[in-house]
Amino acid sequence: MLEKPCIQSRGFKNVVRDGEIVGFQVNIRSLYYRGLWLSQLRPATVTVNGETFLGEQITWTINGVTYTQAEMAEIGDVHWGLLEPATLTVAKEGGLESGSHEIEVNYTYSCSYFPPVADTVLGGAQKRTLIMV
Amino acid sequence: MTNQVEINRKPKRGVSLYSYAGEYGVTMSLEDMFAEMHDMGAKGLEILANSHIEGYPNPSEEWLENWDRLIKKYDIVPVEYGHWVDSRLYQGRHLTPEESYEMLVRDFKLANRLGFTVLRTKLGVIDDDLTPVENWREFIKMALPMAEKYNVRMCPEIHAPTLLKSKMVDDYVEFIEETGTKHFGLNIDFGVFTTQTIPASEWGPNEFIMPESDHSPVEDIIPLLPYVYCCHAKFVKMSDDFQEMTIPYKKIINTLIEHKWDGYMVSEYEGPKKDVSGYAVEQVRKHHVMMKKILGE
Repeated sequence: MLEKPCIQSRGFKNVVRDGEIVGFQVNIRSLYYRGLWLSQLRPATVTVNGETFLGEQITWTINGVTYTQAEMAEIGDVHWGLLEPATLTVAKEGGLESGSHEIEVNYTYSCSYFPPVADTVLGGAQKRTLIMV
Repeated sequence: MTNQVEINRKPKRGVSLYSYAGEYGVTMSLEDMFAEMHDMGAKGLEILANSHIEGYPNPSEEWLENWDRLIKKYDIVPVEYGHWVDSRLYQGRHLTPEESYEMLVRDFKLANRLGFTVLRTKLGVIDDDLTPVENWREFIKMALPMAEKYNVRMCPEIHAPTLLKSKMVDDYVEFIEETGTKHFGLNIDFGVFTTQTIPASEWGPNEFIMPESDHSPVEDIIPLLPYVYCCHAKFVKMSDDFQEMTIPYKKIINTLIEHKWDGYMVSEYEGPKKDVSGYAVEQVRKHHVMMKKILGE
């Protein structure tokens, strides 16, 4: 079972590449009642302790495959299911220190059966304080 | 014997797993939801493909085998498969008829594999009146032979603020009559009959409140019944004495009984506190106490 909030505590960690800490990861689950095709998602922003990351600074990993946010806009046949957390990997040299961090994740998605104006309304900011060990 | 069957023709009870949206994956698994239905004697199942099929649109063999096992174990009848033609799948354009067709057929195959015969086919809309995309006739017509092959009936959901007497419903009925198809019909959401609302204060700050709108009189469903393959038994609030507070259920169900409509009414809870653990589960149970009583079960 997943944790109830969108932002999951499990999976919050720094990312090490070639011995260097190059960023951090946080898992999110969709709070929407149905899964989403990747192209329905609008690019996410992640804010940590007041610093905001966006665009190419963030990748999504779903079911073991990693996508840039630009790629996702064109992928209409890969689905983000409700039981699969997505891993957001944020490029941040040196990563985050051990301790508490205020995390905010913000994204919206399209919904074709609602009036077109709803495409920029659904979704929104999710906040949680996470502890990195 | 024939007479006996005639007499027994009446609506049947089911559940849309949408009702448990706040619990799924957090406090309840697919099996938990099936077990809940089994307790209530609510056999008819509605799933939402994009929500309840793990690995959608390509579930694993292992998942499919488990599905078969659970359907048998809990004596569930797969009734309605909710799916979408996401016309605004890509930003800045609408899907072509061919793309929409491909999306439909992918779901026909999966629905058929899972045992469903009715589809709640949600079409993309182009305005605030929920007018469907302009090319719907084209891709639905293209898909009819495949719907026949896979034994499924595509049913757009008629949902408030749409009225049963409206251009949208007339257009769908005209399409059915013109094509003579048995593979396109209607799903009526009982929310179209809403006569009361609950006080705004009962809703939480982040909950979507359906704006008030005109409603249809219950008898407007009668001429549509030959085309109705499933109903969403929408409800917003069950009282402690098992009354629904916003929709005239007794009149609706009695009308269906009187006209010998024998499809499934699948409970769809759309009231407050869906995110409070256990709340929606209790509401659905109360809803089935009410429906059982009206049905004389």
